[in-house]
Amino acid sequence: MNLDARRNVILSFIVLVIGIYLFRLFYMQVLDDTWTLRAQEIAEKRKEIFPPRGVIFDRNGKKIVTNQTYYNLMMVEDSIQNLDTAAFAQLIGWTVPEVRQRFKDIVEGEGTYYNKITGKRTSNYQKIRAYPFLKELTLEEMSKIAPHLANFKGFHEEATSARNYPYKSAANILGYLSEVTREEIEEDHFYKPSNNIGRAGIERFYEEELRGVKGIKYIVTSALNNAIESYADGKYDTTARQAEPLKMGMDVVLQAYGEQLMQKKKGCIVAIEPSSGEILSMVSAPSYDPNLLVGKRNISSNYPKLATDPNLPLFPRPLQAEYPPGSIFKLVQSLIAMQEGVITANTGFPCDKSLVGCHNHPSARNIAEAIQYSCNPYYYMTVRRIIQQGVKKNAFADAEYGLNKWYRYIRSFGLGDIFDTDVSGQRPGLIPNSKFYDKWYGHHTWAFSTIRSISIGQGEVKLTPLQMANIVAIIANKGWYYTPHFVRSIGRKGPRPEFKKRHWTMINYKHFDPVIEGMRMVVNVPGGTGKMARLEDIVVCGKTGTVQNPHGEDHSVFFAFAPMNKPKIAVAVFVENAGWGGTWAAPIASLIIEKYLKGKVSDPEKEKRILEAQIAYKSAH
Amino acid sequence: MRKEESLTANLDWPLFGAIIAMLIMGLATVYSVAFNEDAPSLFAFSEKYGRQLFWIIFSLFLGLLVFLIDADIYRRFAIPIYLSTLVLLIIVLFMPAVHGAHAWLGVGSFGVQPAEFAKISTSLLLAKYISGLTVKQQTTGTVLTASSILLIPMVLILLQPDAGTFVVFTSFLFVMYREGLTFDPILLNFVNAIPGVRYKETWVGSHFIPILFALVLLSIITLLLDAVVFHVNLFSLDLELSGSSGVIFGLLVIYVISWLLMQRFSTRRERSRMMVVLTLGLILASMISFTVDKGFDMLRPHQKDRIELFLGLREDPNGDDYNRNRAMAAVGSGGFLGKGYREASVSSVRSNHVPESETDFIFCPFAEEWGFVGVLFLFILYLFVLFRIIIIAERQRSAFNRIYAYCVAMILFYHFAINIGMNIGFAPVIGIPLPLFSYGGSSMMSFSVMLFILLKLDAQRKEVLR
Repeated sequence: MNLDARRNVILSFIVLVIGIYLFRLFYMQVLDDTWTLRAQEIAEKRKEIFPPRGVIFDRNGKKIVTNQTYYNLMMVEDSIQNLDTAAFAQLIGWTVPEVRQRFKDIVEGEGTYYNKITGKRTSNYQKIRAYPFLKELTLEEMSKIAPHLANFKGFHEEATSARNYPYKSAANILGYLSEVTREEIEEDHFYKPSNNIGRAGIERFYEEELRGVKGIKYIVTSALNNAIESYADGKYDTTARQAEPLKMGMDVVLQAYGEQLMQKKKGCIVAIEPSSGEILSMVSAPSYDPNLLVGKRNISSNYPKLATDPNLPLFPRPLQAEYPPGSIFKLVQSLIAMQEGVITANTGFPCDKSLVGCHNHPSARNIAEAIQYSCNPYYYMTVRRIIQQGVKKNAFADAEYGLNKWYRYIRSFGLGDIFDTDVSGQRPGLIPNSKFYDKWYGHHTWAFSTIRSISIGQGEVKLTPLQMANIVAIIANKGWYYTPHFVRSIGRKGPRPEFKKRHWTMINYKHFDPVIEGMRMVVNVPGGTGKMARLEDIVVCGKTGTVQNPHGEDHSVFFAFAPMNKPKIAVAVFVENAGWGGTWAAPIASLIIEKYLKGKVSDPEKEKRILEAQIAYKSAH
Repeated sequence: MRKEESLTANLDWPLFGAIIAMLIMGLATVYSVAFNEDAPSLFAFSEKYGRQLFWIIFSLFLGLLVFLIDADIYRRFAIPIYLSTLVLLIIVLFMPAVHGAHAWLGVGSFGVQPAEFAKISTSLLLAKYISGLTVKQQTTGTVLTASSILLIPMVLILLQPDAGTFVVFTSFLFVMYREGLTFDPILLNFVNAIPGVRYKETWVGSHFIPILFALVLLSIITLLLDAVVFHVNLFSLDLELSGSSGVIFGLLVIYVISWLLMQRFSTRRERSRMMVVLTLGLILASMISFTVDKGFDMLRPHQKDRIELFLGLREDPNGDDYNRNRAMAAVGSGGFLGKGYREASVSSVRSNHVPESETDFIFCPFAEEWGFVGVLFLFILYLFVLFRIIIIAERQRSAFNRIYAYCVAMILFYHFAINIGMNIGFAPVIGIPLPLFSYGGSSMMSFSVMLFILLKLDAQRKEVLR
């Protein structure tokens, strides 16, 4: 047997393997760029630059949301040399064990990521990478630390930006930011861990408009990862662009004034510009300074306090408090009745207290007087005519027919559902229709007498303050409204098209005059229920209301618009547990109207009385 | 013969030069990958490159010692050297485990791994034993003795456990194949036990080793195709074949083609014999493929995962396959010309992306820094070394020298193939160093000594009469 030939077998084997390897390496290194991209991913050669968040202006160009620079104290473990832990702890005002614990936390917290495959947190801590040791220091705090950092190698400062609210108001409108969750990062690759995202209000609704366009910088890291230079002279880089500013319809001065008036009280104020649907002010009292929820440190210390406050500052009253509307509903009932032709502007009814309770007043001879006196029996009879029109022979079927007709009218006022708008967190309220009562009582087992309390805005009907303010705006406009909204424009773009669409009610404009006349009389006739809303040189049209509260003192409510002939503001005021509407809500509404229209208040006594009042508000101990 | 007393007389300069070139390249790579700007000196003993330089100098000193000693002792003392290594391999099992393996003898960074030296002593004893045999003399006893020389250290190494070195020991099978060691005596015992059969040799026994490798290859192919379903459209008959039946189908096709070729080219006498071989081969291969397939299905899930990861059927970039994935990213990102010396952004030690990038994964920074051009140069250098050793082997007068040289060549080749294979996804991560490149004292010393013994044997080849 010739064994020498076997040498060639071995040699060929070696050549074959080396050949295959070379082929593979040529493919991996030269032809296929999968691994190059993978390496870029690993070495993080793509650096993302986040622009500062877009700023927000009010209707008068006042900057209400800005960005302020904060500082993070960064740490690179590999660069730390001979750290004098005691001196360092003293510098940042910590104890030595706290500093040690923080080092541990960084390795076990920030230095790990969630491994989707194994479902475990896995370490990707790198000693050469910078991790924030202290977050969100103010310039003041940093200026105490920075001069001494030269003594502590491995620590450096890094600027970041955070929100700032110079007017310290409108927290319920603007919302706040907080750190993105893991799920949000997975859903939207825009975000990186420790980024902020709008968590409520305008900040959340306009998140995409406010966050801007992030820039991408391709960098080449040296083997030591610290000498950073631009890749290909920045040919592939894109610059970060800050979002265009948001302009709101809100008047921040009015908002701050409203919050001031509502101090030590619970309730809300909603003011709308009828001609545009822009929300001028939306106070949810008690209010709080939005700066309390800026940054992780603030949120973790202040949010629990706000959440456990017995006065419920975080509860968005204008949007989620669903009240039976009370007397304001009489305005709507009047309009529907006239449109249906069941009464005219001059129909009068005696104040028959056997039908439903009322206070002492002369019988109403027309609609304006009915509104002025807020006569309950008048509306009992009026709404009975709407519901029981006598179209069907069966009284139950007739009520069903009438209620559904009424329901369509009410829906045309934008009630019974949330507005499709940039106001987040709305509740729909409740407007009952025949299906609702069928479910409750059974088909054809109910008639007007069963559901009569809806005629004076009690019973099943529930509206939010925002919806009620919009009713006032509709009356001011004599029959139409724009969807109430916060933001007027983004950058050079005007309002969103849906905000420019007029919504018409099913009521002819001519029927509004007697109602408006009634509202004028409420405020301006001697002895009117809304006399405390009267102003010297502005004709205010209003309506008092009292919302029955089964849990305690009734809520004081007042609705108004002004001036009568060219309405510029429609306002709804709720003061919880304040009793009769004329006492507290009416003067507050007039102060808001005057402040908005004239920029100042003419009756300091009225203002003082409101500011000093504390109603059903639990003081902090 | 005694006239030339000079140490460098008859030294094979090409191989010696190539070894020095590799040592320098390796040191340069370690310097690059483990660079610490606080101790930039190559002589900084606190750093890995400083220590590597020390190991290189120490290894060259050992090489000098090897050259001062007469080469004859290796043949004469092969058995004592082998036995003392076995003792060390047993002692090491009682040493405290480092990284889960009882592989280190000694303390701290100055420990040595007896397994590294077992390669040399096994080579020596195998060379001594096989050189004393001729093909005609082979009996069951000689085959078993030769196999035992391999198997005893292999078992001890597996007990550590050190899978890498264990696999490297199978390189001796190539040497046995080259030397015509046949497993016939064992096989004939079985075959001739069948009544009426009287064979003098079996083809299988003398080609036992290539057949073994062919079987391993066949098994791997079967497993690779395990999850694949083939669609075969045969005479408008749509067949769906599972992976293993696909392999068997493929074997059948090869069989038919070989049969047709045989009809055309071979003589009638050869034909009948080859038909038997082919048919038996087909049946055996099909059975093995079938068994591997069924056997794999019976494995437990985690065992399957292991095998699937090993074969690259499944990716797990952040789990078990982390090392290989990172290593491949580093190698693949090197491109054609590389990123430049000391610019390995993925595989530098301090960036911590590729673990063990100064030891077992030293190829990563090299490939990342020098690109395909550097890799080509390294491969040519390795090919040169391997060919040079085989040339040296073939020019020896003594069988002992030749067999030892082949052992060295095959061990180097195995290390090269498995180590680089780990970096390109062709081999499992079993942690064996790249000879003369990787950081580490034991492997540096053992490879240097191994090569210097070869150079010394070669230098003295003319003195040997046998």
